[in-house]
Amino acid sequence: MTKIAIAGKGGTGKTTLAGTIARLIAREGHEVWAIDADSNPNLAVTLGLTETETAELLPIPRTILEESKDEEGKRKLELRMPARAVCEEFGAMAPDDVRLLVMGRVDHAGAG
Amino acid sequence: MCRAHAAVRHLIAGILEEESVTTIVDMEAGLEHLSRGTGRHVDTLVVMMEPYYRALETARRTAELGRELGIGRVVAVANKIRDDLDRKTVSEYARSHGLEVIGEIPFDDDLRRAEQKRTAPLETNARALGDIRRVAAALVS
Repeated sequence: MTKIAIAGKGGTGKTTLAGTIARLIAREGHEVWAIDADSNPNLAVTLGLTETETAELLPIPRTILEESKDEEGKRKLELRMPARAVCEEFGAMAPDDVRLLVMGRVDHAGAG
Repeated sequence: MCRAHAAVRHLIAGILEEESVTTIVDMEAGLEHLSRGTGRHVDTLVVMMEPYYRALETARRTAELGRELGIGRVVAVANKIRDDLDRKTVSEYARSHGLEVIGEIPFDDDLRRAEQKRTAPLETNARALGDIRRVAAALVS
């Protein structure tokens, strides 16, 4: 299935297009995930989630990432759980069964 | 890089590896995410163009970066087109920089109102929805 990124200058309608095509494509029977990677997240509204539903989204803990060592003993970071599990636990279900995940909800507290 | 940024990067990569899922990523205004890795995992980059020089310049730079990153399909959508001069401004700029415009969305007061009232465009009767539908069809075809 296709993986689409929508980019452009702020205010050019990226979010309007992203949210609307996500639902239109979902209506055709595709499983669609919408990822808000904007630092000023607004995709939820365009998808049709209410402000209450948006505010209730759980923050994504940084502990989804764990450190392990490869065969040569080199440190590497990897997801502790499958991406699908992260989406199901921390994402919101929008109309037309589009699943929304907001990257700005990754917990930045005590970043380092 | 802080752990939160690393978590975002790994998570986006993991999401984009889910083969059965169609994924739409609403990128930030800057190009940071694209250069930091998202771009390596998407197959299609849509750059938004508006008939203003700065928006066109950003679209061109974003498209160039997308191609440098090896994204297979880099296309443009013209938005907020009000008249023939707008249309010509965007199409000539796109042509001179080798950008394929896959759709054109007119300036639509109903979309602007939806934004102001914080409602989803799909819950309105905006005429532009027909054009957005064509863009969606072009992207999944």
